[in-house]
Parts: sequence; C-alpha cells; structure tokens
Amino acid sequence: MKRELERVDVPGEHEARERAWNVVTAAFSERTPVPQTSHWPRVAAVAIALSTVVAATVSSPGRAVLDEIREVVGVERAQPALFSLPAPGRLLVASDAGVWVVSEDGSRRLLGDYREATWSPFGRYVAATRENELVAIEPDGDVRWTLARRGARSPRWTGSEADTRIAYLTTTRVHAVPGDGTGDVDVGGPSHRVAPVWRPSARFTLTYVDTLGRVRLYDIDSGLGPWRPAGLSKAFRGPRKLEWSSDGRRLLFLTRRKLVLFGSRSRSPLSIRSERLVDAALRPGSHELAVLRTREGVSELLVGKRSLFSGTGRFTALVWSPDGRWLLLGWPAADQWVFVRADGKRIRAVSNVSAQFHSQSFPRVEGWCCAP
Amino acid sequence: MRTARDERARVRGAQEGSVSDLETLFRTHWPRAYRAAYLVTHDAAAAEDIAQESFLAALRALDRFDRRRPFGPWLHRIVVNRAIDWTRARRLRAEVELADTFHAPPAPSSPADDVLAGLARLPPEHRAVVVMRYLLEFTPGEIAVALDLPRGTVNSRLRRGLDALGDGL
Repeated sequence: MKRELERVDVPGEHEARERAWNVVTAAFSERTPVPQTSHWPRVAAVAIALSTVVAATVSSPGRAVLDEIREVVGVERAQPALFSLPAPGRLLVASDAGVWVVSEDGSRRLLGDYREATWSPFGRYVAATRENELVAIEPDGDVRWTLARRGARSPRWTGSEADTRIAYLTTTRVHAVPGDGTGDVDVGGPSHRVAPVWRPSARFTLTYVDTLGRVRLYDIDSGLGPWRPAGLSKAFRGPRKLEWSSDGRRLLFLTRRKLVLFGSRSRSPLSIRSERLVDAALRPGSHELAVLRTREGVSELLVGKRSLFSGTGRFTALVWSPDGRWLLLGWPAADQWVFVRADGKRIRAVSNVSAQFHSQSFPRVEGWCCAP
Repeated sequence: MRTARDERARVRGAQEGSVSDLETLFRTHWPRAYRAAYLVTHDAAAAEDIAQESFLAALRALDRFDRRRPFGPWLHRIVVNRAIDWTRARRLRAEVELADTFHAPPAPSSPADDVLAGLARLPPEHRAVVVMRYLLEFTPGEIAVALDLPRGTVNSRLRRGLDALGDGL
C-alpha cells in the first residue's frame, strides 16, 4: 500500500516546492535578525564607480561620453524643485526618511518614519506601516491609532463616509480592519506580496493574489459579517500589481510577462504578453490604459496606442492624477519626476527629487488623492 | 538527513537561524507533506496551500519545539489535520465563478490511478487515516492521538479504507 501511495502522480510537485520554499525563507528571514554585512563590497563598488568617472572625465573621449549621457538622461529645463502639482490633489510619497504628504502648492510635510502609506477615502487620513505596525494618521502627522502585526505592509483603505476598511498584508496573511482600528479580521492566505486592492463601487470586496498566483475576491456582506469567497482566477506566474478601474468593472493584473485585464466583454480576460512592461495604470473615470514599457535601455509611456514620452533608462511608478488629466512617472536615472498631460501636449519635469525627500534611494509615489 | 541525531542538529540549527538547516528540513519533509495533503484533499492547489501553511506554522512554533521529538511526524500531523479541515470546509463553502470576469476555479484533479480513485470514494477522515498509516507510517496509536480519535475508530477506518481500496484495485 505504501508503494502504491508513493506512486500516485502528484501534479506540480516541483513548482509547488519551490514556491513554498520562497515563502518559507521569506518568513524565516523576518523571524531571524539579519546579520550585519560588511560594508566593503559597497565601498569597493563606490570606489570603482568613482574611479571610472574620474578616468572618463580626464580623457577627452570620456568627457564626450559624459556630456552625451547628461544630454539624453532627463528632461532639459526641468524645474529644480517641486513648486506645485499640475492637477488638484495631494501626493503621498515614501522615501528613506519616511512618508510625506505633498500639497498642490508643492509644500511637503514629513508624516513620520513609515515605509508605505495609503490615503483613506476622501483623503482625510493616511494608513501607514512600519516594521510590525499598522498606523492610522491624520494628514498633519497626528497618530490616531496603531495596530501591532508581524510584517504589516501594503495598506489599502476603502469605504464610505460612514464605514471604512483597511486591508493590509502581514508576513503571510491578508487582513482587514475597520477604520477605527478595532475588529481586525484575518481574511485569508497565504498571500503573495502584491498589494491587495478593494473593488470600487462594491461594498468591501477585497482582491488579492495568493501564493499560487491566483487572483482571489472576497466579499463582506455587512459590517464584520462572514467573509465568503466570491471569485478565483487561474494561476499566473510572477504577479506584480493589481488595480481596479474606478467603476469597479475592470481589473488590471500585471505579471512579470503579461498584462491581464479581467472584465472585458468576452468571457476570457484580455491578456497581452510582453516582457517589456514595467507598469500599467487605468485612467480614473474610464477604462483607458497607460503603460510603461522598456526596450534596449529606452523607456516609453503609452496611453492607449499613443506614445507620449520616452527616455533613456527605466521609468517607474506610473500614477494618474485624480482628475485623470495628468500622469506622473519616476525617472530614477535622471532623479526626476515627469508629469505628462494625457493628451501629450504638455510635460513638466522636476529635478533633484531624492534630495527634496531626504532620500538616498529614489522616492516612491504611493498615491495621488482627491483635493481636500 | 539520515539519522534522528542529524535531524535534531538541523532543528537546532534552524532554531538558531541557519537557513541551510532550515532548507534541509524543508527539502526532506516537503515531498511527504505535499503528497499527504494531496491524497487527502485531491486538489493540488489546496495541497500546496496546506503544506506551505503547515511549514509556516511549524516555523512559528520552532522556538518552542522540543528537539527530542522527531520533526517529521510533528509536521505531518499539522498537515493532515489541516487537510481534513480543508475538505470539511469545502463541503460547506463552494468557491463560485464571478460573473463574466473570472475563469472558473480549476476543477479538482481527477484521480490519476486506481489508488487515487479508491481514496476518492472514502470520506476525508478515512482518507486521512489511510494516508497517515501507509504513507506517513504512523502507528494506529499515534494516529489516534494525532487525530484525537478512539483507537477502535482508527482501526475500523483503516479496515474500511483498505476494503474500499481493495475493491478499487
């Protein structure tokens, strides 16, 4: 009997083992303090980079190359600082220093030493995470409440004037907690690291990706009522991003090699296969798609089929303005943010982005929310 | 991992933060954990979830684990109990298709051979007993403890399980 049981063909055993090992090691690394690593490799890398730059600068061909790089990386005549936003609303930005709120007039306020953040509905509050903690904050930085959860990350807030929920991930699970911070619910898991999203125009329907790469939907009937599974997709490899259209009728799912759009009229989801896709975002108030793609070192922004902007290096973080008229993309190699109007007729760029947010790494835009 | 002594050393290493020891434990025990979950649930995706969550549960409890006990049976007991819970829960809640926006959930795998077909005819609680006895090599007494069942119930489930499998084979 033992031999017979061991002979049964178990599908996907190898792939399942490797996926599980990735999850287990991730959980293990969060359990165990990471040992201090030597600074020598970083010092050596910096020294090599510096010597290369020096060598390039002292030789005339080298100087020509540097001049060329200076010309092609970054928008010329970019503003030296973020003096204002081109559209109504406020930005949430995460940098090495913490999470910032940027107002329409360009003023910046550091909320605190948080890693990630999200706006509440109507932009009245911010939910943020730091190590093992979910925090609700007022936009002036005052803390409303905190919730200790292991590995808390990727908060997303939804709801109405009367009732809200914050979804977030822990080390391996998906949770949801009412806006007052009480009654936290373990929704399910194990979950992939992709941030969960709430479906607009539906009462507390949460969407997340499980460790098999399947998109899952869960509804709450009312209040803290029973969670019940409402939908389940097939498995996709390399999940990277989930996003609902503002009317809740389309779901964008970006993976390492595909862009999948659920909810089109045909029964099967629309799927575009491309390994060059960097990011994608649905325009507020429509189903129009903006896409960042890169090829042979050149990145490009497309809205629909139109190419609106391109440049050398990799673009990141595609974000629509709340009115759907402007797009913001990051250009780390140029240390710039580029605001591109959706009709392609205007471009505004801002330089020195990292320094403005007191950051060694390139700041990340977490959201562009409604005007106060 | 050849001996119980080796395994104790690996557990101690993992408790102290060694990834390589954790990996040895994982790669040694994953195949049986996954297979056992699959044989009880007959659903590969569920088996993966269950085996994975069981490892994570074991990881969370690792600091409290008594190294004098063998790691495998401890882990497999978690796996089988979770697999039984999952099959019971599936009877109560069917995952349904979301209108036109999603594919239907993948159907449970069809039995690949006569043993699998025979197991499929058994209630999940009976499958679990057969899997624990013949795949994971628990004694009937250990199964009774692990599943919190009277010893006689374990024996009767084993007998009925073998009868059903015998018919299938």
